[in-house]
Amino acid sequence: MSSIDKSTYVEAMENLEVRTSPLTIDDALHLLRRATFHPTYQAAKALVGLAPSEAVSRLLSTPVAPLADLPWATTAPNYQDFAANARLWPEMQQWWMQRVLSVPHVHEKLIVFWHNVFTSDYIRVYIAQWMVNQHKLIRSNATNYAVLAEKIVGDPAMLRYLDGELNVKGRPNENFAREWFELFTLGIGNYTEQDIQDAARAFTGWRINGVQGVYSKQLADTDTKTILGKTGQWDWKDVVRITLESDVCARYIAKRIVKQFVEFYPTDDTITNVQQIVRSANYDMVAILQRLLSSEYFYTMSVRGALIKSPAELVVGLAASIGALRVQPSYCVASMTKLTQEPFYPPTVEGWKGHHAWITSSTFPQRQRFAEAFIDGRQAGSSAKLLDAEGKNFTPDVVAMVLQLPDADDAAKLVAHVASLMLAVPVTQKQLSVLLEIMLAGAQVYEWNVNSPSAPQRIKFLLQAIVRMPEYQLM
Amino acid sequence: MKRRSFLRKAGIAGAAVSTLPTLVDSFTVQALAGGDPRLHAMLEDQDRILVLIQLFGGNDGLNTVIPIDDPRYYEGRPTIAIPKSKTLKINDDLGLHPAMAGMRGLYDQGQLAILQGVSYPNPDRSHFRGTDIWLTATDADVLGSTGWVGRYLQTLAPGYPTELPAHPLAIQIGTQTSLGLLGSTGTMGISFRDPEEFYRLVNGGGGSGEVPSSDQTDTAVGREIAFMRNIAKSADVYAQVVKQANDKAGSTSTSFPATDLGGKLKVISQLISGGLKTRVYLVSWASASFDTHANQTLTTDSTLGTHSDLLGELSDAVTAFMAEMKVKGQHERVSGMTFSEFGRRVAENGSVGTDHGTAAPLFVFGSQVNGGIYGKNPDLEDLDVIGDMKMQYDYRDIYASVLLQWFGVASTTAQQLLYKDFSAKAPSIFTALPTSVGDHRGAERRFLTVTPNPASDVVAVRANVLEGSHATLTLRDMRGAVCASVGVDSWTGVGRFNVSALVEGAYVVTLEDGRSTAHTFIHVSR
Repeated sequence: MSSIDKSTYVEAMENLEVRTSPLTIDDALHLLRRATFHPTYQAAKALVGLAPSEAVSRLLSTPVAPLADLPWATTAPNYQDFAANARLWPEMQQWWMQRVLSVPHVHEKLIVFWHNVFTSDYIRVYIAQWMVNQHKLIRSNATNYAVLAEKIVGDPAMLRYLDGELNVKGRPNENFAREWFELFTLGIGNYTEQDIQDAARAFTGWRINGVQGVYSKQLADTDTKTILGKTGQWDWKDVVRITLESDVCARYIAKRIVKQFVEFYPTDDTITNVQQIVRSANYDMVAILQRLLSSEYFYTMSVRGALIKSPAELVVGLAASIGALRVQPSYCVASMTKLTQEPFYPPTVEGWKGHHAWITSSTFPQRQRFAEAFIDGRQAGSSAKLLDAEGKNFTPDVVAMVLQLPDADDAAKLVAHVASLMLAVPVTQKQLSVLLEIMLAGAQVYEWNVNSPSAPQRIKFLLQAIVRMPEYQLM
Repeated sequence: MKRRSFLRKAGIAGAAVSTLPTLVDSFTVQALAGGDPRLHAMLEDQDRILVLIQLFGGNDGLNTVIPIDDPRYYEGRPTIAIPKSKTLKINDDLGLHPAMAGMRGLYDQGQLAILQGVSYPNPDRSHFRGTDIWLTATDADVLGSTGWVGRYLQTLAPGYPTELPAHPLAIQIGTQTSLGLLGSTGTMGISFRDPEEFYRLVNGGGGSGEVPSSDQTDTAVGREIAFMRNIAKSADVYAQVVKQANDKAGSTSTSFPATDLGGKLKVISQLISGGLKTRVYLVSWASASFDTHANQTLTTDSTLGTHSDLLGELSDAVTAFMAEMKVKGQHERVSGMTFSEFGRRVAENGSVGTDHGTAAPLFVFGSQVNGGIYGKNPDLEDLDVIGDMKMQYDYRDIYASVLLQWFGVASTTAQQLLYKDFSAKAPSIFTALPTSVGDHRGAERRFLTVTPNPASDVVAVRANVLEGSHATLTLRDMRGAVCASVGVDSWTGVGRFNVSALVEGAYVVTLEDGRSTAHTFIHVSR
């Protein structure tokens, strides 16, 4: 790691000037770790030498492949039969996981980000069709926060999750209105209890009909309300408009974006700068990410490796980086669940807090055991083999993984390449020499032969030692 | 944990001791104990346990501790009010929710304190901000970064996490680590769902070698690596200790309810029975929430439904837990407290539910608890502008009671831990600190009540003395100087001190009656 010039660093933090110097392989991996679930060597190599704005533009403009719908997504909900609904929930989780495993697009990361802003959980929503439709709504509108925020108001899953369907004229229910301001748009402290009460009235008029959210003006409270200091006969659309016009909203979304894609503890100045981008881009996420991910700030050494991977990033990222993406989606869902990120089931309406909240005295060793076993072709906590999507046993081909790297025949260089592929943090010479010892397992460095029968086991030892390091949890 | 060995370690650290004011009371009590082995044992054997039960979501206090004689309660809640006749009546104007038969039993045994109207100035109605305020013990407009429990535990282990105590200081049963357990050097607790699983996770790794840590740097990355290494280290050390305690406990004697909370309190009971010296346990529901905006009760029967299920789960689990502690002879060491980020609005909404509110009751339970009702029924006429109830106790008053009366910290320390002095209003929830009597723990309760505590002028100490015996009470300050000595009236068992001339702080009361000697603390506060 080169030393950081303090003045450049401060300047980069305070303005989001576009970086012009071409991407190195480490820069490209950093970009992929943050912007996608697939930080692979091949994808990174394709970006090396490009100017950051060109690389980011390529990632963002890659066409998004269509997603095959679940066959039951548009069928009528079954309100009575618990078992019939419960059968659909894991199908939905695996459907999503299959997509994330197979499509390395930025879009997939963005979708998960929005799910953690506009939360819902399948237990409370209950009707799987509504959850799937909410996912599709987020999927179709992930590139524009303003559109998504407006459409989420009448989304059936949301109407159920935060009691919007029960929020009726004359007898308001404040649940959705409160979280609208606190978690979806402005953040705590930027509204009054009166704003919540009046917004709750303005959000009346919605009900659920089958798989649709239906709004009736006749059922809505059309009396005078005051929202964020503006008084009028506002309806739900007016609340959305007034809220999103606020600079506080742009600031809140800017902070969420920075915490997701760059660093967990941004300075006020950084947020101010990103807020300006959010405002000028009018909440268009492609424009915002294009600018942010091309900036000097995004590539400063101080933010690299400073985020803790979510379970989704750990599970899918590991599968991607060792070439094991054909793993059975259900096992990935189960692994994420054990690591406290069950898809479509956030712990509270706040979503997953992320970062330090991922790591406890239980989940940290659990992450290590998961990754060690995965490399070995086993399921964590059992002797069962990993299965592929067809249900057949499979072991990740770690030799193929290292053969894609340059210098696979040079043990010391190979260890260094694998470490920089797997770790977002530069490894020290001391760590490299221990990793080399672990891989060689007593053999001399000149005896290394990637094609020898013992090579797979030795590469596994290397990879397992890497995934046990605390550094592996960082990205 | 051996408190003395900590102090010794702290002593080796030299200069650190004098700059750690929270340690002063530990040293002074050591000095105070002098040659009295009982007092020494009591002071050293700092193994009183607090179980915190978090009711996330905002528990509806009015449907938990019900003002059965207040027509405004029934007017505000035409659908969800609990009919007077269905409540578990405590007195003429108050009844518990019918699902809480178990906790009603604890109340009848004098082991349940109900604190009315607990909140704080300018209460926040956000779940997340409200929870953070309760966990950090800060004013509503202060963003705290450490938890009140974490700060307290740091006074017991100032070298944490470099020097780990033999037993974990705090355990959270579940998959999260609470902000409440966070000290200034990271979390003071560990968390797991199950001791066996925890042990397997920590010890189930492959054997292909460990990579040394990179140099710790004061960078974002350096701090994250240190954060994880500290957590890994405490997991490595404690997985074995926890498993041993769990194995040693054998099976429970009580049948615990097969619920989320029941299962978690069962794990805690096993760890306590197995000799784990953890000071604080924290549990909450894994997924259920007290956020009852809708369908809080059934429309056909307001005593049933979501809220009823949750209160029943709480009550049944707590009751089983205390029963098990009694069977295992551990009940005098254990107290529990519930808390929730806010109560709910007086008037129901249109969805058979209630929106976010403010002040609500809080429960403290245990055999050393001075059971009863603290405060009065909420005044449903005198509401704030939004229609929410006003505060009777600051939640930190209760924390001060726990710190002063249960954990026996000095009032200066409590003031540091809570950032302000709440001792004056801290209710006397605990009858007396349990008297540690060495080889026959919990055999007899010598102090019945110390009221008021904290005291400002006259304090009455009621003791369990042999009729006709000559018993004396001696009051000493924390340096060991005798401040007063009075006889105990053998008919009433009461002795009285006038403390109006004494400086504020903690004092030790010693009871001697020829049979034995026992000690407890009182606090002078104005």
